[in-house]
Amino acid sequence: MLSYLGRRILSVIPVVFGVTLVTFVLFNIVGGDPVYQKMGKHGSEAEIRILRHEMGLDLPLIQQYGFYLKQCLTFDFGRSWATNQKISAMIDNGVGASLSLAFPAFSITIMLSILISILIAFFRNTPFDRGLQVICLAGISISSLVYIIAGQYFFSYKWGLFPISGYDPSWSGRWEYLYLPIIIWLLVSIGNEVLLYRTAILDEVYQDYVRTARSKGLSEKVVLLKHVLKNSMVPIITNVVIEIPFLFTGALLLEAFFGIPGLGGMVVQGISNSDFPVIKAMTYISSVLYVAFNLLSDICYALVDPRIKLE
Amino acid sequence: MSTPRKLLVVSFIISSMILGACTKKEESQFESYVHEPLKSSIKGMDPVISSDLYSGIVMGQIYSTLVQYNYLQRPIVVEPMDADGMPVVSKDQKTYTFKIKKGIMFHDSPAFKATNGKGREVTAEDYIYSWKRLADPATHSDGFWVFEGKVKGFKEWREEAVKLGKANYTQAVPGLTAIDSHTLKIDLEKPYPQLMYVLTMIPAAVVPHEAIEYHGPEFQNNPVGSGPYKFRSWVRNSTIVLDKNPNYHEEFYPTKGEAADTADGLLADAGKKLPLNEGVVFTEIVEDQPRWLNFRKGVFDWIEIPKDNFDSTIKGDAIDPQMAQQGVKLNKFVDPDVTFDSFNMDDPVTGGTKGKLIRQAISLTINPAELIKKFYNDRAIPANGPIPPSISGYDPSLKNAYKGPDLEAAKALLKKAGFPNGQGLPEIKYETYAGSTARQIVEYLQQRASLIGVKIKINANTWPEFLQKQKQRKAQMFGMAWSADYPDAENFLQLFYGPNSSPGPNNSNYNNPEFNKLYEQASVLPDSPARTAIYKKMVALVTEDTPWIFNTHRKAYVLTNGWFKNYKRNLMNLNYVKYYRVDKEAKAQLKKKL
Repeated sequence: MLSYLGRRILSVIPVVFGVTLVTFVLFNIVGGDPVYQKMGKHGSEAEIRILRHEMGLDLPLIQQYGFYLKQCLTFDFGRSWATNQKISAMIDNGVGASLSLAFPAFSITIMLSILISILIAFFRNTPFDRGLQVICLAGISISSLVYIIAGQYFFSYKWGLFPISGYDPSWSGRWEYLYLPIIIWLLVSIGNEVLLYRTAILDEVYQDYVRTARSKGLSEKVVLLKHVLKNSMVPIITNVVIEIPFLFTGALLLEAFFGIPGLGGMVVQGISNSDFPVIKAMTYISSVLYVAFNLLSDICYALVDPRIKLE
Repeated sequence: MSTPRKLLVVSFIISSMILGACTKKEESQFESYVHEPLKSSIKGMDPVISSDLYSGIVMGQIYSTLVQYNYLQRPIVVEPMDADGMPVVSKDQKTYTFKIKKGIMFHDSPAFKATNGKGREVTAEDYIYSWKRLADPATHSDGFWVFEGKVKGFKEWREEAVKLGKANYTQAVPGLTAIDSHTLKIDLEKPYPQLMYVLTMIPAAVVPHEAIEYHGPEFQNNPVGSGPYKFRSWVRNSTIVLDKNPNYHEEFYPTKGEAADTADGLLADAGKKLPLNEGVVFTEIVEDQPRWLNFRKGVFDWIEIPKDNFDSTIKGDAIDPQMAQQGVKLNKFVDPDVTFDSFNMDDPVTGGTKGKLIRQAISLTINPAELIKKFYNDRAIPANGPIPPSISGYDPSLKNAYKGPDLEAAKALLKKAGFPNGQGLPEIKYETYAGSTARQIVEYLQQRASLIGVKIKINANTWPEFLQKQKQRKAQMFGMAWSADYPDAENFLQLFYGPNSSPGPNNSNYNNPEFNKLYEQASVLPDSPARTAIYKKMVALVTEDTPWIFNTHRKAYVLTNGWFKNYKRNLMNLNYVKYYRVDKEAKAQLKKKL
């Protein structure tokens, strides 16, 4: 197990290195020269030279890339070119808001999805199953923007059940602003998750070991909860764990419409401003989280399925 | 715990969460504050660093400047703010001597260690220090243009700092002298008639050196000024709260304004001490729908009507009667800006003499009325030249011979250029950035130009790419808008001055020696009939040469809630919140109607 972990951690290094290289190359090819944006309206060639020097853009590319790698190792990405704010402070300020929305919304979605999927599996091939499938498909087909615009208009503006938008950074104050975005998150994503988990569970329902369990006289409830669910967990875990890193990078639309000061807006602003320090930081952190959670999912497989050995 | 009990506990938690959400919050402690939405997040609050409009709006309330714009008078006039009266100006217009009011105090801050956190008095030296920060290469300020090449020896001071790699704040700038603690002398290289205007701007605001030294780069998040409001808090990308500065120096609401101001109730508070409210809450909110719904719910005091809500709000150029009943008021203003399509005069196709005929022809294809109706909800007036109304030098009688639509004349010009029906004319590349409305406007231009056989290819760019193409003179054609920095036509005409070509602000790279000579003549003249006559000649040159297709001057349709008083728009004046008043009783009544 330990040697497996060591090997996996070592294998992560070239992946993350590759991500940094691709980010750096892409930024330098298609990013647009950030100097012109920083310079403002009244620039001159002399100003451009000074700025380029101060931003380190006059250094050879290999040196600039080396500097980036150093930042990755120290997790110190300096200051934003667009706002001059410390990137660590920007992330620090945004991650709490993003996770306050994403974590409960994601957890509730997963729990409810599994619950509904088991129910569907229990009532498989009945009108209940088909009805729920139709509802799920309809839910997926509607754009998330429709849920947001309609939800905000009716629940907040018309019926006054929730604030229209806003955020209170205090622990107790923030929830008032998060209920509606969480509900919308749930509505947007639950259909997709339920259909996926339903397939995973139904894949197991017709296996020989399930038939054997039934023939032993076990109730359908026990068969589903004790045998089927555990063996359906591998695809479910894969889906859940792969989604977790994206919780950190924020839900762009929900954050923008509900005024939640998370990381989603920061990433988009970073890209539209050619704010390379922000782009560098967020791409690197996302890639590290992604590979870390990938590794975690492998470990979880072994925990839920004894047939899988980490060697 | 048994399953039913678990269920009971869970349902209790869920229902209390929902009830908590549904319960109306107790009356906010900010009820008598001004509530203003910002369309974008601010970047910071350091006057030399954060140069975007929305940061400027917040800083406009925190900091003070020597002079400011009169809130009500039009044409816009400059009046003292920190200055004790208007400056004494030498006969050659090259020396300005300002007296600074006594008793203007910086906000309390832990940075003032010598006074145990009590703010100290603003002095002439503080102004000199603050302006040196603009020239300090370490601040990366893009605001130094307000003094560069204008104040004696300032450019050299900066060059020395660049050479040494560090600014020496103890080294004097020859053009800036503190005669005593409350007298500041500015010596100019040459007359600079716009000086009084640029001194109203945020980069010219005063900051205490103690706070800069105490907070370092984090000063932008912990601003200390001497303006009417003190910084309280900033939740990034969410809200900024400023409280009324109890020590703000004596300043009063103006007693004179335009003729219509009395009828509009704008003089009801004449002579009252400022600020007229307890503070301001700025909410950064990018999306139109939540901004609009919050206004309609009474959270925000005023709003510019979003494009998608215009038709349901404005009926025949008046406000919807139901909204009027709720006390909502419509305020209309023509903004001091111009939208345009620019040609690159360095380009072999769109530049030069042959290019002139092509430019004129394309300009003639545009139907301004159609453009304004389609893309601006009729909220604009056609622009015949670069200078917008409300700016000194604007000529309402200006005629532009190349203002469309006149497709026959356009075809004739194209034929004269050697491209009958566009035959032989290479495709023109139009650079735009990836905004949907911007793209639609270009598609309209593309369609109109195709009527005379001119093919336009649209290239969508990110904003940095778009800027880069302009600044490197690689954009053959592109669309932009320019909003006045100050109320002088020079601010618009500089956009055609040859030496200002890219990477300077003249991105069309128009370089007409006759125009340049006139610009240099006018740039040292005060506002006078002689200068206005020169401006007219300059405008005639650019309308004839058509480096731009002059599109529109945009109108702002602003709604104010019934309890919100004294709204009068001036995009150049950023220290406006102190004039606003919130009628708490009316607010309590009117909010019930919303």
